[in-house]
Amino acid sequence: MASAEVVVSSGGAKFRQTVFDAVVFAYLAIFAVVVVYRPSEEQMLKLGENASLFGAFVVIGAILSVVLQHKNIKTLGWMIYAPPHLKQRSQDELVAPMHKTLWGVQLILSVVVTTVVGFVMTKIDVLQLLEAERFWHAMRLFGELASPNLEILPKAVLKIIETIYIAFMATAIAVPIAFVLSFLMARNIMGSSRVGFGIYFALRTIFNVSRSIEPVLWAIIFSIWATFGPFAGMLALTVHSIASLAKQYSEYVESVEDGPIEGIESTGAGRLQTVWFAVVPQVVLPYISYTVYRWDTNVRMATILGFVGGGGIGTMLMEYQGQAKWPEVGCIILVIATVVWIMDTFSAHVRAAIK
Amino acid sequence: MSASAKDSQSRSGQAIGQHILQVRNLQKTYPNGTRALRGVSFDVKRGEFLVVIGLSGSGKSTMLRCLNRLHHPTGGEVLYTDRQGQQLDLAKCQGDEILEVRRRIGMIFQHFNLIPRHSVLENVLYGSLGRTSSLKSILGMYSAEDQAKAMNFLKLVGIGEKAHFRAAQLSGGQQQRVAIARALTQSPDILLADEPVASLDPATCHVVMDYLKKVNQELGLTIICNLHFLSLVRQYATRVIALKGGELVYEGSPADIDEAWFSRIYGEGAKEVHIN
Repeated sequence: MASAEVVVSSGGAKFRQTVFDAVVFAYLAIFAVVVVYRPSEEQMLKLGENASLFGAFVVIGAILSVVLQHKNIKTLGWMIYAPPHLKQRSQDELVAPMHKTLWGVQLILSVVVTTVVGFVMTKIDVLQLLEAERFWHAMRLFGELASPNLEILPKAVLKIIETIYIAFMATAIAVPIAFVLSFLMARNIMGSSRVGFGIYFALRTIFNVSRSIEPVLWAIIFSIWATFGPFAGMLALTVHSIASLAKQYSEYVESVEDGPIEGIESTGAGRLQTVWFAVVPQVVLPYISYTVYRWDTNVRMATILGFVGGGGIGTMLMEYQGQAKWPEVGCIILVIATVVWIMDTFSAHVRAAIK
Repeated sequence: MSASAKDSQSRSGQAIGQHILQVRNLQKTYPNGTRALRGVSFDVKRGEFLVVIGLSGSGKSTMLRCLNRLHHPTGGEVLYTDRQGQQLDLAKCQGDEILEVRRRIGMIFQHFNLIPRHSVLENVLYGSLGRTSSLKSILGMYSAEDQAKAMNFLKLVGIGEKAHFRAAQLSGGQQQRVAIARALTQSPDILLADEPVASLDPATCHVVMDYLKKVNQELGLTIICNLHFLSLVRQYATRVIALKGGELVYEGSPADIDEAWFSRIYGEGAKEVHIN
């Protein structure tokens, strides 16, 4: 019985589990090498050599993983990728404590190593925070921030209104585009034909890439392409919003119930009619709810974008901060905090009302 | 209602005529390799109330969906003869022809499959989507004729006064009647019913079945209906077929299903549940 179980494992799962184990092994091995040999900075910068060393460890790890799989020992990769029917424990199997299993040791080692590296990389030094001079310096800054210079309040209010509208326009332009795209990016709508699946796959790829580019980077790109100011910020937010809305919308489309679709299809309705009458009614409310949330997020993001030339209150904040005029900065922060709080409350109320 | 339920034992007064469907060696194998239908053959006569029985997983639902091409059969023929005597193999239809097949064969479902947020009347009007252009239907421009038809059928199933309620506000039995009205608005030649009363309580069950019977007798619509309860089969069917493991194991009159047949269809040890 037990031997029969080993054989049935799909190729894909085996491959993934081998790759996973190999990478974990290489990660731990590289850590060991760094600790033992303490390489110089010059050595650390030789990307080609270091990458080939890592590659060599991956190969060794892969071989080890295959050997272990043959011996029927459960590795971390197996725990993650093995198909559920293999994970079913046989009756006489005892529950082993985690540190006595191979996968448990792998997991504990990886977590410990990552934490140690994390400490070293971020140069954690608690003593810095306890130095009296540094402490009082920071306190003085807080003090100035806490006594805001309200003379610039009128200008700050005008600028935050600009920011709110930048966010609004970005959302308003993104919504119709993302609405159409979301159906083309949903597997249950597009998956039935080869051409459809091609479109689905291409769009998913494009948007995964564009979503992984932070809006701040888009703002830098657009502030060069267009001019420095609200237009560039709006464009950057629009691009990011389209990608993020389309992704979220398409997930709502993918989770719709099949019943109404079948009901409308059974009447002889065409494809567009089926989407419009069976899918759209199911996603309208979540769409609205997420869109309001997106606008709220965009207001916060538009503030940050101002720092890199996206206009609005962010640009104003950057100017005063650059001149170390802390009471003015305090006033701007006060305005931003108030508006973010209002937007947050408003969006929460709208979303609660829709549910 | 109970009076009509009692005399439903008698056969439909309508003359049962020519073949409307001749199903030959119908097969369906799903992409994952499951063989849901292993060559099913039977005939359906115009005006019949044919009931299909069998356990869950016997292939009943798949078979109905292969008839109206919600699913696509992987083998066999579904020969359909229209009112003019023209013959067409529904299993061979492609592309837009499939939409035409679905338009001609209405269907109701166990879970009604309405659009819960839309009004009852809108749901019934969706029965006319097959003959309305995409643009017109999206703009809500249904022809006056279709609107009148939808309202009429809503009255026929006895819930005309609920026309402007949201479908979700109605009880299960009422929703199934809306679904019947939607299917009728298609002006179908055949009505498929997939477990139409399986999610309803026993009392409501009969109301829905009686409306199906009314549609069968008054409009002369051919009905093919999947059912669970044998007592309902005896009351409403004019003829019965039974499926087991994707094969036809019984064909005949509902009165002829005895203990022996029952255990052959449902397996040894099964007990008949009565629903009244």
